[in-house]
Amino acid sequence: MSALLEVRGASRKFGALMAVNNVSFSANEGELLGLIGPNGAGKSTLYNLIAGVLPPTAGTILFEGKDITGWKAYDIARVGIGRTFQIPKPYRQLSVVENVMLTAFLREPSLGAARKLAEATLADVGLADHLGTPVSALTVGLLKRLEVARALAMRPKLVLFDEIMAGLTPTEVGTMTRFVAGLPARGITVIWVEHVLYAIMKTATRMVVLNRGEVIAQGAPAALARDPAVVKAYLGEEMDLA
Amino acid sequence: MNAFGQLVLSGILIGSIYALMSIGLTLIFGVLRVVNFAHGEFLMIAMYGAWSITYLLGLNPYVAIIAVVPAMALFGALVHRMIVKPALDKPHLVVVFATMGLSIFLQNIALMLMTADLLDVPPIFSQALRIGPFYFKVELLLGFLVTLLCTVALQWLIRTTYLGKAIRATVQDGEAAQLMGIPVPRIFLITFAGGSALVGLAACIMLPLFSVFPTVGLNFVLIAFVIVVLGGMGSIEGALLGGICVGVVQSVSSYYIAPAFGQMFFFILFLLVMIFRPNGLLGQKGAATIGMND
Amino acid sequence: MADATRTSRTTLPLPSLPQRGSVSLFEIVLFLVCLALIAVGLPSSLQDVMLLTFLYAGLALAWNIAGGYAGLISFGHAAFFGVGAYTSTILFVHFGVTPWLGIWCGAVLSAVFGAVLALVCARLRGPFFILSTLAFAEVVRIGALNWASLTGGPEGLSIPPSASLVNMIFASKATYAGLMLGYVLLVYAITKALETSRYGYYLFAIRDDEDAASAAGVNPLLGRTYAMALSAALTGIGGSLFAQYFLYLDPTFVISPELSFQFALLPAVGGLGTAIGPILGSFLITPLSELLRSNLGNAAAGLHLVIYSAGLIVVMLYFPGGLAAAIAKLARWRPFS
Repeated sequence: MSALLEVRGASRKFGALMAVNNVSFSANEGELLGLIGPNGAGKSTLYNLIAGVLPPTAGTILFEGKDITGWKAYDIARVGIGRTFQIPKPYRQLSVVENVMLTAFLREPSLGAARKLAEATLADVGLADHLGTPVSALTVGLLKRLEVARALAMRPKLVLFDEIMAGLTPTEVGTMTRFVAGLPARGITVIWVEHVLYAIMKTATRMVVLNRGEVIAQGAPAALARDPAVVKAYLGEEMDLA
Repeated sequence: MNAFGQLVLSGILIGSIYALMSIGLTLIFGVLRVVNFAHGEFLMIAMYGAWSITYLLGLNPYVAIIAVVPAMALFGALVHRMIVKPALDKPHLVVVFATMGLSIFLQNIALMLMTADLLDVPPIFSQALRIGPFYFKVELLLGFLVTLLCTVALQWLIRTTYLGKAIRATVQDGEAAQLMGIPVPRIFLITFAGGSALVGLAACIMLPLFSVFPTVGLNFVLIAFVIVVLGGMGSIEGALLGGICVGVVQSVSSYYIAPAFGQMFFFILFLLVMIFRPNGLLGQKGAATIGMND
Repeated sequence: MADATRTSRTTLPLPSLPQRGSVSLFEIVLFLVCLALIAVGLPSSLQDVMLLTFLYAGLALAWNIAGGYAGLISFGHAAFFGVGAYTSTILFVHFGVTPWLGIWCGAVLSAVFGAVLALVCARLRGPFFILSTLAFAEVVRIGALNWASLTGGPEGLSIPPSASLVNMIFASKATYAGLMLGYVLLVYAITKALETSRYGYYLFAIRDDEDAASAAGVNPLLGRTYAMALSAALTGIGGSLFAQYFLYLDPTFVISPELSFQFALLPAVGGLGTAIGPILGSFLITPLSELLRSNLGNAAAGLHLVIYSAGLIVVMLYFPGGLAAAIAKLARWRPFS
């Protein structure tokens, strides 16, 4: 398996604060990589570095061997990396289908084909009944699914998920977990930042644990659950590893 | 050298008065996150108010402060209640168009009631004051003193009272402030009314120096915008600093640059600040992006 | 691009009411009515109102591309109006270039100004953006006012009224009305073309959520620049047409904040983000404001503007989506999708 995404020594400083400090890891093709850590660990900042929202102040990021460090978000999308937003950011004046069409245009420049691709992706995440629903009428759970649909409509090689489980009911969490687990088999590598730990422990093939901006552990979920450093980092937080 | 020094000093004095006129705008901007496009017209009607009191009661504009400031506070509260508050939960352009509409409305009401004539108050001080090699109009000095006093008072208010802290909190993060139990809608009202009262005060000290006519607001609102931008949204010290900068620049450039280009110079200055320091000289980061997807 | 999820109340392939992404029967009928009004031969003063209504409808549609579709609320579009007007007029009056050609030169130059504005305001949003567009237009106005050798300065620039097709000067107001209607058709066609292409969607995305648009591979700065340039070019064409009708240009009127405000007001009242909105806005407001001005403008200076602005405030507060949205609620018609 080749490394699809490689993060080498990435750091991001805000004034005097080192939000991300010399983080290195890779995501291989076909992996479902979990990115976890307590609040304030720097997960969001690291996520934003990969997604092109912020440039790193040090280090490099490679995708398919190509240096994408400091690339803008739209170039990163064009190269095949999809992403969701933790707080969904739908286009409020567009319909559900049209929301997904925007990303679908990366694959299908024509309106008709993009619409078909969008509809197929929406069916995939279980939103087929809501094609015409106004975005303002969607519940949190459905909005999150819309976010996922938008990221997947570009048929990405790598998709970044940012806490897509927050606010979902247990049933919804189950459905979404099964869905995400099935993505690598379809050729989509997943990097998943998540707080709802049991979902990610069950499905991730490998995990990276961050604390205070640094990687404190990497490896298979089962091993990490026993790692004293990981447990210590989460002390004081509710932990549900079952 | 004396000429240059005189220009700079006069510039500082007039600049501080400009700052007083702008403090209301920057506070409203910082707290409510709206630009009151009718700000210049608030100044205009306050000036007419001061002029009327002077003319009808035989007083002077400084005494008129007693009446004009509370009246403007009331006016501000009224405008807030009727126009700004209903517009706050709607798309951003509603408050833009509504305040622009108010601006046109006030200009033309003034035109109908007071005609287009330039109105002045009779001079109060016959002689300029001489300090060292420099001359100062007494009205200018008085205005400067009033501004200083007012700024000090405001700073005390902002830093020590609960109201002041509540205002600062709302400027930083309105949602968080509300969650903390701060009555944000009331803070909005107080800020808008207070800002309008400050405009009233500025109008009274400006009337001895400038004539009033229906579109006088247009000249000053532009200056106010430049000051607010330079000083940073929501910052009182910034407004004072920005005002002094603008006053000095205007004073010096009107001497050395042709008047035709004076105004254009101003707009270009505005655009340059917007391009290179949209958060102002002292302002908060991200101030330039308010109103987007709010 | 009608599809199964949209309501289509006729048996024809065209929807009956205006809809994003398609021409509707309503708009076709409206166009035919306008043609009829031109052909019928109204009294001269009404013809003036009519052709101005058409001109402003085109200008409102042009503004809407930047303001309604891309979310760039500009109060400085009179600058582009002026650039277009002066370019074609200077080429005509000083160099004998026919306006039929000069208009396109004006459009190109206006587009450049539009692109410059978008780049200058690249990092600005909300009220700062609006104020900067105002400042930009004022810089252009004062520049035009003081560059007297080029623009005639405060004395203005006149076009000698020798009517001919080549000069684009006509004796009959009906012909001018036809010209203006043609302008509306042009801008309308471009608007509809945007709606039915992914570039239109890129603008909607930038308007609704720039970050999400970036994540979808859309470059917001490029989108904003193109939208502003296109909007500016089309506004410039309107300016040139105005010059050919009015035959006199003066920076104080042609590049004024009042005019800029009007360009933004008409689409806002009619309904942003739709093609029919700006048209409705102009069809309602232009005759109304002309009526108010001619009847009350003399009675008391400013009364017509008092009424006009009070009406504006009320409409803005109670119909924030504009006429199109208000009618849509009544007719259960959805102009957006």
